[in-house]
Amino acid sequence: MIRYTEEELLQLRPTEPVKPNFDVDEFNAIIEKVKEIQEAHEEEFSHFRRRSSHHHAKPKFKHLKPKITTDEEGWSTLETAPAVRRKSVAEEEEPTIVIAQETLKVKPNKHISSSRPADARDIVADKPSKAFNAFAALESDEEEEQE
Amino acid sequence: MSVEEVTQKTQDLTVDEAKPATVLSDPKEFQLKHPLSSKWTLWYTKPPVDSSESWSDLLRPVTSLDTVEEFWAIQNGIPKPFDLPIKSDYHLFRNDIRPEWEDEANSEGGKLSYQFKNKRHNIDDLWLRTLLAVIGETIDEEESEINGCVLNVRKAVFKIALWTRTTNLNALTNIATKFKQVLQLGEGEKLEFYNHRTSNSGHAPPTALL
Repeated sequence: MIRYTEEELLQLRPTEPVKPNFDVDEFNAIIEKVKEIQEAHEEEFSHFRRRSSHHHAKPKFKHLKPKITTDEEGWSTLETAPAVRRKSVAEEEEPTIVIAQETLKVKPNKHISSSRPADARDIVADKPSKAFNAFAALESDEEEEQE
Repeated sequence: MSVEEVTQKTQDLTVDEAKPATVLSDPKEFQLKHPLSSKWTLWYTKPPVDSSESWSDLLRPVTSLDTVEEFWAIQNGIPKPFDLPIKSDYHLFRNDIRPEWEDEANSEGGKLSYQFKNKRHNIDDLWLRTLLAVIGETIDEEESEINGCVLNVRKAVFKIALWTRTTNLNALTNIATKFKQVLQLGEGEKLEFYNHRTSNSGHAPPTALL
């Protein structure tokens, strides 16, 4: 078996470029093309990528601490910011009655005097299933007698 | 012309020793080449850029070499590991062994692998040192246990592996010791050995740490 040490092989390294036994330009062109496609793909999808805090500083979140007040008897009360704000607004603002100065034009409902019921279910409830006909009733009695 | 004169003329003659040109003396017209112990084939796995491309489309032999001069011509012409696109692989395998565990020469063997998580590592130099150790046959001293070597370029890591013909633990331990020197690893750093028979099903853990 022929063996060469690393040093021996490095001594045989040419200082000038030597033409390899295959089309190296074509091979390098394929690799360059792949790199271009990968870069274009990376750029295209970079907008959709979720922000990662792995390589950067983590985003800072401001956590508001709840305000707890303890009275003399030892009862603690949790005061949240919105509740305090609502209370103060309510105290500051006096109840006022606003009187409209403008005349409102109301369009009368043309169907307000109509006999048509407002609810379709009322039609079913109010309408008799069959109107009583006195003559028809008499006729039916006669037929029974004939039979 | 007298005999003395002829004798004198013959003594004055100098025969030019026709030394063959080497790659160092004449890089274009050199005749002297240093043969390697085996023929080696360089393979390249192209990263997929289209979903229709299969593994067989992506893995291609680039060229073969059997002299030191051919090795340097190829090595100096092709992109270095750091310049390769992500998901590329270089494979240098002995003779016509395909860089696949299904190949008959690989089926009873495995791979000794190390993963460089820091991409600022001098991976170009480490890969070159691996290639020189493999073609120079200095990793396994007794038999040619090495079938080939592989470089994987991934998004966050580089991997360099030696593919072995068998899973003989004694041989692997000796190879691992020399391979760690080639990769300039520290005492505490371990190589992972994957047996091809057991590791071809998904992400199996390494068979041994050496």
